[in-house]
Amino acid sequence: MMPHSIRKGRSALALAALVTGAVLLTGCTAGGTAVDTSGEQLLTIPREDMGTFSRNFNPFTPNAAPMTQQAIYESMLVYNPADGGTTPWLATDWAASDDGLELTFTMRDGVTWSDGEPMIAGDVAYTFELQKKLLGGFDYLDSVEADSDQSVRFVLNRPYSPALYEIGQQVIVPQHIWTEIDDPAKDTNGSPVGTGPYTEVTNFQSQSFDLGKNPNYWQPEKQKIAGIRMLAFAGNDGANLAAVNGEVDWAYQFMPDIEKSFVAKDPEHRQFWFPSTGSMINWQLNTTKAPFDDVDVRKALSMAVDREQVTDIAMNGYTSPADCTGLSGAYTTWVDADIAASCDWTNHDVDAANALFDSAGYPLGADGTRTLPDGSPFTLDISVGSASSDWLSAATIIAQNLAEVGITAKVDSPDWPTVSASYEDGSFDTGIVWSNNAPTPYQFYRGVMSSETVKPVGEKTFENYHRFASGEADALLATFAASSDPAVQTEAVNGLQAQFAADAPVIPLFAGPEWGMFTDTRFTGWPTASDPYATLSTKSPTTVLVLTSLEPVTK
Amino acid sequence: MRFIVRRLAFYLLAFWVSITLNFLLPRFMPGDPVTRMFAQASNKMQPEQIEQLRQLFGLDERPIWQQYLTYVQNIFTGQMGVSISRFPTPVSEVIGSQIGWTLLLGGTALVIAVVIGNLLGILAAWRRGGVLDSVFPPILVFVGSFPYFWLAMAALYLFGVVLGWFPIRHAFDAGMMPELSWTFVSSVATHLFLPALTIVLVSIGGWMLGMRNTMIATTAEDYILMAEAKGLTNNRIMFRYAARNAMLPSVTAFGMSFGFIVGGALLTEVVFAYPGVGYQLLAAVQGLDYPLMQGIFLTITAAVLVANFLVDIVYVRLDPRVRVS
Repeated sequence: MMPHSIRKGRSALALAALVTGAVLLTGCTAGGTAVDTSGEQLLTIPREDMGTFSRNFNPFTPNAAPMTQQAIYESMLVYNPADGGTTPWLATDWAASDDGLELTFTMRDGVTWSDGEPMIAGDVAYTFELQKKLLGGFDYLDSVEADSDQSVRFVLNRPYSPALYEIGQQVIVPQHIWTEIDDPAKDTNGSPVGTGPYTEVTNFQSQSFDLGKNPNYWQPEKQKIAGIRMLAFAGNDGANLAAVNGEVDWAYQFMPDIEKSFVAKDPEHRQFWFPSTGSMINWQLNTTKAPFDDVDVRKALSMAVDREQVTDIAMNGYTSPADCTGLSGAYTTWVDADIAASCDWTNHDVDAANALFDSAGYPLGADGTRTLPDGSPFTLDISVGSASSDWLSAATIIAQNLAEVGITAKVDSPDWPTVSASYEDGSFDTGIVWSNNAPTPYQFYRGVMSSETVKPVGEKTFENYHRFASGEADALLATFAASSDPAVQTEAVNGLQAQFAADAPVIPLFAGPEWGMFTDTRFTGWPTASDPYATLSTKSPTTVLVLTSLEPVTK
Repeated sequence: MRFIVRRLAFYLLAFWVSITLNFLLPRFMPGDPVTRMFAQASNKMQPEQIEQLRQLFGLDERPIWQQYLTYVQNIFTGQMGVSISRFPTPVSEVIGSQIGWTLLLGGTALVIAVVIGNLLGILAAWRRGGVLDSVFPPILVFVGSFPYFWLAMAALYLFGVVLGWFPIRHAFDAGMMPELSWTFVSSVATHLFLPALTIVLVSIGGWMLGMRNTMIATTAEDYILMAEAKGLTNNRIMFRYAARNAMLPSVTAFGMSFGFIVGGALLTEVVFAYPGVGYQLLAAVQGLDYPLMQGIFLTITAAVLVANFLVDIVYVRLDPRVRVS
């Protein structure tokens, strides 16, 4: 074909010309996106943190393709942090025994898997067996028994009321399919069988895939959209560009200045909604180190922080400052208004911070810098992973705030693995860290105050990096876990809030916003702040509520 | 022949050194993939699950020399393990599904840049001081010195977003299935245009200048003068006499660039969300996905070494001098 170098050059030129020609021929259609309102349009969603997809719909793997847990498999109930409501899903009802050691779920009648087989309680029992074997967790479960096809009973080895949501939100897989799979831990489950609204993989490419309707869905009247199309993006930038261009219907990622860059392009159809129902982001101080073991220091440091500035600048104003209950917007029904109102150490007050430092024995020197009781300068490091630009700028603001009270803070920002390694072995000073987020405040308080979660410095830990424990909190947590009586639970949570406000185990900064934006040019029926039937997340358990509420626009 | 055998031995040694480094480097990085994944999932995983995940991924707790022996053995049997960031897909499958796109993008861009760059270089040197010689080199060097990321973003924004002439992401339109049809091929071509164009723009100046400079040295040789004296046509002298001899450095550079295609288009792939190996490498490093990192490094190493070895062989044919040394 190519005997001489000159010929080679010519054929390459010809190739280039061919490519250019093809480009010119099709170039005009590539850019313009006419709005498809045939009724058959696919709900298009970008995935910002996966540059490519693998055809892996195994819900027991940590990297399953998007929508595995949202559109293909379903759980027994759906909890909505935006309004605190719980929707019965594959189960219609549930009850706890008086001693709190048994939970019984009644399964919905008439639900079938996408292959037409009926979904029964045995599937639930089998799912939990598999989940415990493959991924662990659920340590409080002794056994799961299917008492009949309609009823499944969970036997706990200790009273543990948060179990209801943890069990209820586990996605259920069909026993008749998974018992046939040789190695469920490593199977990619390429053609999944689930109970969800969109289970059929109609086209799978490494950068986009389509899911079509489940032919046997149990609420066919709610399958109004023809299908879902996922697009892969290597980062926020690409996904944001697609959203701004109107190429996707629904997106879930951080976008700077969203009002101007997204909404203003088509204010009639575009909206965003960022409820602060995400995990509380805290400034964690290593309480095994002096002076952070001193509660007055923690509170004084907290008062030096200008949270308004942090949320305005670092978080683009997308969230609001935390109060001293430490509870995010996901727990509005739990907050004790008296405690929240009495907060003083989460308010920005430089004078009060100075006074508290002085009285606690950390005097301000003549040179304007504060010293520890032994006379050495009061300095600290704030460790944040370099990839998290929002948290990094929060840390920088905090460092500037601290300069006003005479403390030198250094922002230390290596790559995340280095940072998390220092959190895990307890060698860090301070850092900006997420906290647990679950349907009840139990997991949050357990993560920041329970002695169960504290490990000695040097021993690796994956929670409670700040290593703080409180005996009072332990007792309150135990009370909460042992009871499913709302009054008892409320009282325990109130106690935990008071304890948090008194001890300042971590310095809460702001609640993580749950991103979400949409355009209603192709689909209507989105959740909004005035109709919060779900959050606008594409990755959470409430996603299925959105998928079963949307309707295509037809003209 | 002895020359080739000697080179082969050298490349085998280089290969051994690089696979050993490849084995050691990821293990010197702080953190491990499971805790990394845990940190990324922030609150979506329970701490109790960490041990379980370690077992699931088959993370090796054996002494390092035993791991090394298994690793070398696996390389020669072609097993690269299972990717962690795309668990449970085997590494070979991840790379296999993407290397084609990288080769298409990098190969197209390289061939275009080499052909056009060298032709421009030849012509510029032949008509020294002409328009081509005085206008192109400064412009191309100017364009080539842009930070690549910036240039790619600018091209994407201008031609993709503002003008809408080209698609701004992926290798072909969403919803299409790869097939041998005009619609699919043209979709691939439109998606290829911008990323390839930006690579050509930044690299073409180097090819042109390199060729021009060796060409100028060659045209000063006596045999060119003799060819002119014999009354040969200008084109024949330019291509057969001058360019052919001036091409040797370009051949070396082409071989090396060819080897680097596999890993070299990382930024392009990230900007244009092109489904190649480069982006996957970034994702693997971020996720501390050792098996995938090693697989990709190995592929890059092998590509570079093989390309260089081939260049050596070609050189033996092109340049008689190396046979003697």
